[in-house]
Amino acid sequence: MQYMLLINEDESVYAGEEGAALMEKTLAGHMKLIEKLSVSGKEWSGNRLKSGSTATTIRYKAGEAALHDGPFAETHEELGGYYIVETDTLDEAIELARLIPVPGDGAVEIRPIWPDEDM
Amino acid sequence: MARAPGDTHAVRDPGASFARDLADARPMVVAALSAHLRDLDAAEEAFAEACAALSETGETPENLAGWLITVGKRKAIDAIRKRGAQQRAGESAAYLEHPEGGDMGDVIELPEPIADERLRLIFICCHPALALDARAALALKVICGLPVGEIARLFLVPEPTMYQRITRAKAKIRDAGVSFELPPRKAWDERIEAVLLTLELAYTAAYQDAGGSRPGNEGGELAEEIERLAHLLAALLPGEPEALGMAALVTLARSREGARVDEAGAMVPLSKQDTARWDLERIERARVWLDEAQSFERTGAYQIMAAIQLTQSRRLFDGKVDWRSILALYEALMTLRPGPIVALNRVLALARVAGEERALEELEAMDLGAMESARPVLVARAHLLEGAGRIEEALGLLNRAIESDPAHAERLYLENWQARLMRL
Repeated sequence: MQYMLLINEDESVYAGEEGAALMEKTLAGHMKLIEKLSVSGKEWSGNRLKSGSTATTIRYKAGEAALHDGPFAETHEELGGYYIVETDTLDEAIELARLIPVPGDGAVEIRPIWPDEDM
Repeated sequence: MARAPGDTHAVRDPGASFARDLADARPMVVAALSAHLRDLDAAEEAFAEACAALSETGETPENLAGWLITVGKRKAIDAIRKRGAQQRAGESAAYLEHPEGGDMGDVIELPEPIADERLRLIFICCHPALALDARAALALKVICGLPVGEIARLFLVPEPTMYQRITRAKAKIRDAGVSFELPPRKAWDERIEAVLLTLELAYTAAYQDAGGSRPGNEGGELAEEIERLAHLLAALLPGEPEALGMAALVTLARSREGARVDEAGAMVPLSKQDTARWDLERIERARVWLDEAQSFERTGAYQIMAAIQLTQSRRLFDGKVDWRSILALYEALMTLRPGPIVALNRVLALARVAGEERALEELEAMDLGAMESARPVLVARAHLLEGAGRIEEALGLLNRAIESDPAHAERLYLENWQARLMRL
């Protein structure tokens, strides 16, 4: 099954000089995960997203659309990136998700992707 | 399941004995079928079908669990085939090969070797990815075979709510792809913790009303089921001290069931319980488990909780309670598992060792937050105030405790206490 790992975290920890060093460390963690995914032979993808301040949201109210500046969720934790991985079970996906570094506050959500073959 | 020698069917009530054998076999059979079919609903269905097939034969096979597993697998394949024929070709049944010929009679001669998959099933039902309040319910449904209506009654929720909770948990297992494999050994600690937390929650629910007098829990039925699961876990994980500690803890709680309510239906606090009504056999069994757990020298919260209860149980033998040990154990528990209820119990133990005045000082200094006016706090404070001779203040707190709508047995106890203080 395919799972999407959604990385929500507080971007502010990466601000300033100390934040830049923290970002280096975080990226190194991601590189390790990417290496692991690459040698696994299974399909995967993933991307880092630009900061929440660059987001534009189309918000719907009873089906009526309106454009808004900023991300969808009004929290301190922004969707900062994601992976799509292929594993046999949720448990294996959780193991991979644990390898995603989140140095500050945040959460990694693990969501099964609706499979093509059922459509 | 194996029958005790001399347990002759014809003399005893055969129906009840047969039902008990099936209930005993159930965890093993449903676990094996779940591992094979990778679907809890299908496993439960196959078990029911196998039981129906067995009652048709009118015989009891020697290896009951093995028979039910083999027949259950066949029934499941038939079900998949039937569905396959209805939908498309039915190739999904291909990997579940079984020899042709639907006659169930031949199975009696071919019992399969049974792998014990019960731990696997417990890990699935108590998976940390499932909602905590759904785990125990799911375990009682799938492993113990309790009907949903019964489980709803035990947890004091409406049946449709419980049905939805269990259905949602099963759907999550299926749709999110929860693993049906036994997790790798390095992941066991976290998984065992999830199982123990599930048991703890259910155990707390079973005892939140002293005496089991609330409607739906007469005779501590939930406690009985939780004890069954805790014993099963301890048997499956003899090398896990916390699982043994949990089994000891649950067993000690059950050992006092006969003493927790008086003839008038009022709760009897632990210190006033008639030790002649305690179940010595259970206390002894718990002691053996706790000794075994402590031999691993890996302490944990459940072992400490069980040790506290066992220390209380020693009153049965010498009429005394070693409050110094209990205080030390609560202090250890505070470092492992700090919380307002543990802190409160520590202060009550402190009162026995250093006097009520000192305990009251510490209680006043505690930051209880929202717990400040919770009943256990009111009752503890009233207890200490009475000990310190401050009767008026104690009465005020007792009034508040009674107004907070306690369960029947506790209300009677508080009212009796109040009446006693008013006579002073």
